[in-house]
Amino acid sequence: MATTTATITLNSADLSDNVLSISNTMTLTTAGTITGITETTGLARVKMASSTLTDLITVANINGFTAAASAKVYIKNTSTASDKYATIGLAGVAVTMGRLYGGDWMLFPWDGNANEDVTIDMSDATETIIEYMVFFE
Amino acid sequence: MATTTASITLSSADLLSDNLSLSSTKTLHKAGTTTGLDGIQYERQEVATGDIYDIVGSSITNGTALGTDKAHKLYVANKHTDVTRYVDIYVAAVNIGRLYAGDWMFIPLEVAVAAQDVAVDAVGVSQVVEWCFVHEGKTLGQS
Repeated sequence: MATTTATITLNSADLSDNVLSISNTMTLTTAGTITGITETTGLARVKMASSTLTDLITVANINGFTAAASAKVYIKNTSTASDKYATIGLAGVAVTMGRLYGGDWMLFPWDGNANEDVTIDMSDATETIIEYMVFFE
Repeated sequence: MATTTASITLSSADLLSDNLSLSSTKTLHKAGTTTGLDGIQYERQEVATGDIYDIVGSSITNGTALGTDKAHKLYVANKHTDVTRYVDIYVAAVNIGRLYAGDWMFIPLEVAVAAQDVAVDAVGVSQVVEWCFVHEGKTLGQS
């Protein structure tokens, strides 16, 4: 069993009168256990150069993926442009989560039921590198 | 303008043949700008089991959507300690995934329509959930 951790820190000295300092570390485990996740797509980098809605991560292309378990998805827009973004959503159920502007990242749990592919829609056709990684069981 | 940063570190010595060590830090800006997000809602709540409850969205803002063209960010953590338990996370009434005890998530959020709420369903037992919504501003409900 592997031990993989994900740590987030949210910090601000001036968002409110008191300092905001959130830090949380989770160990990525299989559903309902303390057994570490042992499978991943690895870190992928893809070049997006179209503003057409498309699949970024396709459930059917992840061999051995278990739906409705404890998969996690990491995505980052590596651009430095503050005015261009990637809209991330889920296909099939047609859900839009939100926009990753240049430098933004996200990590979310993913049921990955049939056809619930992770979609991406760039704000324009500017060539942009998107990184993603799926941890699954 | 406020300066708020969100950092992630993904680490493993044995998931892959080589070490996994990935880090990223981003200052949270309003959509399309370099102006810092300046609103926050930080809560901790024991969520009862048996129903789906909104934590961010129109029910919190008196039926008013939080807007298109926004770059809100949402952090959610399941603070329960029994690893067999989880909360389902809903966006726009769709179950996107499970946060097991100890898990957290961080997503951009564009609440373009009133129905695009984020909600949680504590499955099996009540569970304590924390969330921090860093946003561009929202409309308060009139008393």
